[in-house]
Amino acid sequence: MSEKKEYKVIGTRPIRHDGVDKVTGRAIYGADFQITGLLHGRVLRSPHAHARIVSIDTSRAEAHPGVKGVVTAEDLPAAEDKMADLGEGAVSLKYLCDNILASDKALYKGHAIAAVAATSPHIAEEACELIDVEYEVLPPVLEVRQAMESDAPILHENLRTSSLGETGDKPSNIASHFQHKKGDIDKGFDEADVIIEREFVTGTVHQGYIEPHNATALYNPDGQLTVWCSTQGAFTVREQLAEILQYPISKIKVVPLEIGGGFGGKINVYVKPVAALLAKKTGKPVKVLMNRADVFEGTGPTPASYITIKMGATNDGKITAAQTSLVFEAGAYPGSPVGAGAMCVFAPYNIENVVIDGYDVVVNKPKTAPYRAPGATNAAFGTETVVDELAEKLNIDPLEIRLMNGAKEGDRRADGPVYPRIGFIETLEAAKEHPHYASPNGKKYHGRGIASGFWFNIGLESSVTINVNPDGTVNLVEGSTDIGGTRASIAMQAAEVLGIPAESVNPTVVDTNSIGYTAVTGGSRTTYATGYAAYEAAQDVVQQMKARAAKLWDVDEDNVQFADGEFSSINGKEEQISFRDLSARLGETGGPVIGRATMNPAGAGGAFATHVVDVEVDVDTGKVEILRYTATQDAGKAIHPSYVEGQIQGGVVQGIGWALNEEYIYNDEGEMTNASFLDYRMPTCLDLPMIDAVIVEVPNPGHPYGVRGVGEVPIVPPPAAIANAIYDAVGIRMTELPMSPDRLLKAMGKI
Amino acid sequence: MEKFSYVNATSLKQVTSLLSDSGWGEIMMIAGGTDLLAELKEYIETPKTLINLKTLPGMDSISADASGLKIGALTTVAEIAMHPTIQHHYTVLAQAAASVATPQIRNVGTLGGNLCQRPRCWYYRDETVSCLKKGGDLCYAVEGLSKYHAIFGGDPVYIVHPSDIAPALIALNASIKIVGPEGEKTIKVEEFFTLPAANPFRENVLEPNEIVVEVHVPKPNPNTKSLYLKAREKGAPDFALASVAGVFEVMGRTCQAASIVLGGVAPAPWRSTDAETALTGKMINDSVSAKAGEEAVKNAQPLNDNEYKVTLTQNLISRAAMMAVSK
Repeated sequence: MSEKKEYKVIGTRPIRHDGVDKVTGRAIYGADFQITGLLHGRVLRSPHAHARIVSIDTSRAEAHPGVKGVVTAEDLPAAEDKMADLGEGAVSLKYLCDNILASDKALYKGHAIAAVAATSPHIAEEACELIDVEYEVLPPVLEVRQAMESDAPILHENLRTSSLGETGDKPSNIASHFQHKKGDIDKGFDEADVIIEREFVTGTVHQGYIEPHNATALYNPDGQLTVWCSTQGAFTVREQLAEILQYPISKIKVVPLEIGGGFGGKINVYVKPVAALLAKKTGKPVKVLMNRADVFEGTGPTPASYITIKMGATNDGKITAAQTSLVFEAGAYPGSPVGAGAMCVFAPYNIENVVIDGYDVVVNKPKTAPYRAPGATNAAFGTETVVDELAEKLNIDPLEIRLMNGAKEGDRRADGPVYPRIGFIETLEAAKEHPHYASPNGKKYHGRGIASGFWFNIGLESSVTINVNPDGTVNLVEGSTDIGGTRASIAMQAAEVLGIPAESVNPTVVDTNSIGYTAVTGGSRTTYATGYAAYEAAQDVVQQMKARAAKLWDVDEDNVQFADGEFSSINGKEEQISFRDLSARLGETGGPVIGRATMNPAGAGGAFATHVVDVEVDVDTGKVEILRYTATQDAGKAIHPSYVEGQIQGGVVQGIGWALNEEYIYNDEGEMTNASFLDYRMPTCLDLPMIDAVIVEVPNPGHPYGVRGVGEVPIVPPPAAIANAIYDAVGIRMTELPMSPDRLLKAMGKI
Repeated sequence: MEKFSYVNATSLKQVTSLLSDSGWGEIMMIAGGTDLLAELKEYIETPKTLINLKTLPGMDSISADASGLKIGALTTVAEIAMHPTIQHHYTVLAQAAASVATPQIRNVGTLGGNLCQRPRCWYYRDETVSCLKKGGDLCYAVEGLSKYHAIFGGDPVYIVHPSDIAPALIALNASIKIVGPEGEKTIKVEEFFTLPAANPFRENVLEPNEIVVEVHVPKPNPNTKSLYLKAREKGAPDFALASVAGVFEVMGRTCQAASIVLGGVAPAPWRSTDAETALTGKMINDSVSAKAGEEAVKNAQPLNDNEYKVTLTQNLISRAAMMAVSK
């Protein structure tokens, strides 16, 4: 399969560098942060899903004892409708600002309207009650099909549909429509012997990170703004603050604290600019913490969607055509992940004739945010269910039909890119060879399902510096938030180069003043791109240390070689010195050694996964039990296999929750009725079997060790795999998520 | 959460005299606090004073003898779930207690609190909604979202009673001791709970100055088989979509007597006399158990979103009956 390289550190399982702090409770999270003179902020949120803000009177709140300042959208710089550059594409500045504090309209229940800073959190909460807001309540629109109707209530009077390069001439909730085409779709369906066309509906789902959003901000009299917070990327917080506050980026320092989960939901800012405004107004440091209801109602979930999938295949199993319409909720402002969904929807298959239509539609729900392979899970729920149905109709094993049509190196995806070496086929083969697939499956009401998934992964910018210590250890300085063990996986790549143990690398995630630009921990990029930068920075250290050895030995630099942690001379003198011993002699050979590297690598290499699940359906209660779960995934090269397995297991668990229980339940007024972890049902260990994570390694040619991002793709297959297993168990095709007991009883005709 | 003062209880007499000074909501009692604290944080209740009952002596133990069980109201749910005698002879009660919430909540939540906990209805729990239960005009579940609401006995408030332990105690014919300013009284647990038609604002007969102190459970006959089945959307923590507390006296496959009380389907624990009648004196087989399920739900009145609960309840009763006569 792949050429096996011998590594000393890569592929081992050292204890993570941040482990002790985390298990002993010493790690400092956003809510733990303390500073002298701290005030506490609280945000007043809209009780209405759709309303015009007629007036806001903060005078009673300002007069309340203990209140030090109140802010509204008027405290934000005037947001004329220009585009903000956030590094990852342009965004309307007005939309960005209005989502922080609503100016003219409240567009979802939970939309921030005003905020108070006070001497205690309780006073701040009391004072919020004293802010008088007059609303003109408008009818909400909560679902994409309803939002697209011509007589639907309009969220944004200025929004015109951008469709295939044309701009509409009247207000619409459809922000954009795009299309990808490949081949001749009519010809493709003409060639098909079997055509399946189905509709799918998925619910609004939250990332469910345990730690709520938080920020503490301080404005110094010299104009320096410092923000301590939990985020997936300190630099993106700095960019967003600079745009929203229209403040010089060089005067903003963002200090990332430990993060209690993000999954994409901690890239966009919510309370950080609010804390900054309150800090500026009061002259004091201000901390703003969300509670759980704030998190559900006031931050971005992943979108609900309405998807149609049509696929055709010949009798011998070749998929000849695939067509889809992906309609995604953007939430209150344009910008759903429908584009990413379109990249992934048919990505696992080499299909000659494809049409993909994507629609980004605004509705009166929180502006959506990324969630682990954003858009791909929604899309794969449709595709992988239809592929299963094709296999059944054609009497072909569901793994075989995927093997027959699976994408390989050189195949072109419908949205353009041609695949480099990828490992989809290998994940299918690993699933086929796994004992799970050969195990008996025939008990009554038991069923087995298969589904695959794709996530493209990204590269983006990363910076790393490495300072060599006199005892042969190094301090590695990076800007990537560590969510899933990346301090370890990045440090290990440097350790491998330097020939030292992983424990001899001390990784630190630092603030935006202390390292070069580093993009968010997202897109499964961190072990890949920041790891790549660590590799290059370590190479830089080696080069510099070779020069020092050359100086010691009075030989030419080209005559020093480095292997297995030892420098030695070639061509002449038989000199040798270990990395450790040379580290102690840096002062005498020219001073400290600092390795550095910055990267923006282009070869992230896509990730594929294939999942096998066994379920039991309780036909009396509609409850689905997950009996066994096997997830195979191409990790390229697993730097730290435990954390790769952890990512796979975590993704699968979130996918199971999405499949079976999780959803925002809205009433007709557009109010979420289940904004707590009791009523928004995430799975616990009682709902899950051991998830067997099988790592397949098809090295990514775009990385020195072959790394592919692993964090996101494991959430993609579960809903479809479980739906296919339910079909196998009880003969019912579930096309709506979540597949909760009430829906299943209904689908089985028991109601 | 509003400010409140906090008083440690020293005696029942002190508690009832403190309570006598107010109507509902001014002075409230707290034991485990697993329900009340959430209500305070969400402004559902805004008492001026909380009386801490955990300082009351001698109310947190279980005693078992030939006549039955006495369980103090401050006994934790975990202690009930893990008590060997209860597990062996009062299985339905142990199973019901074990199904409550999570280990952490069972370790602090008390018997008294479990019986007196307030509804989980999402309209009731929303501080901005003034529903019938809170003195408003409407039960919003009737026209609104009713997935988790009542299919029996709802009119005019369609909450479901959230307790798992209550149906088990009623099925075991337990009694409850209540102390008030006038002294103590003992009533059947079944009579403790009320329907909204009688009082839309409360779920039981307690007066504002009364306190639950003890539960008595008579010892079941030796040929009794009891069990608790709870359908929920996820493993834990989750309240019942529907639950069945079943206490059966069986001889071979014949059911000599059946006591069947449902949870999660009505504003109070709901005894299904229809199911009991359908099973009593019968050899239990598939068709008899199926018939008992059908009988139990023939008068169900589902709302817009909870028709599935009718099916669920019917199937759970059938399953409970079959389990009663299986080995």
